[in-house]
Amino acid sequence: MTAPADEEFGFAPDYDAPIPYMQRIRTYYQTLGYGAPYRWAHYRDVPFTPMTKPLSDATIALVTTAAPYRPEAGDQGPGAPYNSAAKFYTVYSGDTSVDHDLRISHIGIDRKHTTAEDPGTWFPLPALREAAARGLIGKVAPRFHGLPTNRSHKTTLEVDCEELLKRVKEDRADAALIAGN
Amino acid sequence: MSLAARTLEAAGIPTVVMGCAKDIVEHVGVPRFMFSDFPLGNPCGKPKDKGSQTATLELALRLLPAAIGPRTTVQNPIRWNEDGKWKLDYSNVEQLSPEEIARRRAEFDKGKEIAKQRLAADLKQRGAAE
Repeated sequence: MTAPADEEFGFAPDYDAPIPYMQRIRTYYQTLGYGAPYRWAHYRDVPFTPMTKPLSDATIALVTTAAPYRPEAGDQGPGAPYNSAAKFYTVYSGDTSVDHDLRISHIGIDRKHTTAEDPGTWFPLPALREAAARGLIGKVAPRFHGLPTNRSHKTTLEVDCEELLKRVKEDRADAALIAGN
Repeated sequence: MSLAARTLEAAGIPTVVMGCAKDIVEHVGVPRFMFSDFPLGNPCGKPKDKGSQTATLELALRLLPAAIGPRTTVQNPIRWNEDGKWKLDYSNVEQLSPEEIARRRAEFDKGKEIAKQRLAADLKQRGAAE
């Protein structure tokens, strides 16, 4: 598989680049027999707010797409197959001073290469507390917030994102760290 | 996730998204993106590798003040593994047999039905609470 240029110039193989997920997913569902392709949100313009406070003084909010573990909702991992029963449909919040059992079995993760055995790979609350303890950030906001991922764009934009904004403001956060999946 | 970043940012709250789907996040368009070229589900570092998680989080946090404008993407220098062949697998129809495609279709239909029931139960519960 190694082309001569790879050895001569140190080029990486062509496949070793970020996965073109949109193209893969469209082709996948078309091949499975589903007609209309999913349309991802897409904007020309992107808002930007510069940080005005030094990071070491800032209160950082944590936002996650992970779901609270519910024993009655079936296999939620590690290694669980896709579990739509574990989904949630409204914004929820939790106390950042204690630990939480959040899972990602309800999300389209890579089920071949992601075992979901270590929550540190998707919910960095303990690491964020450590960042505060060593002075990299000022402090962790009092609550983290869970954002549903599975509704229409309309619901996400008009209901869920607005509710999230309200809660992040209530917490007086200076910036938000959003761990997606 | 990307839509949340845009909403917060437009309201004056700087954000950084940690994620693994580079094309999707950049297609939506976000202010700051800490991209890890890892399998979906690992936006915050490698499993059982606290060093990688600490380093990934620190890069994301440092991106908050460091970005000079929107659509700033920084790629995590940490690699998932040496050969990177995991990238050939995800939803790649070239690697599936017709039987496997049929099986996955049945599984997908089942999952959709369960989600529909769960949504109905959630809405009912919310209605009762209000």
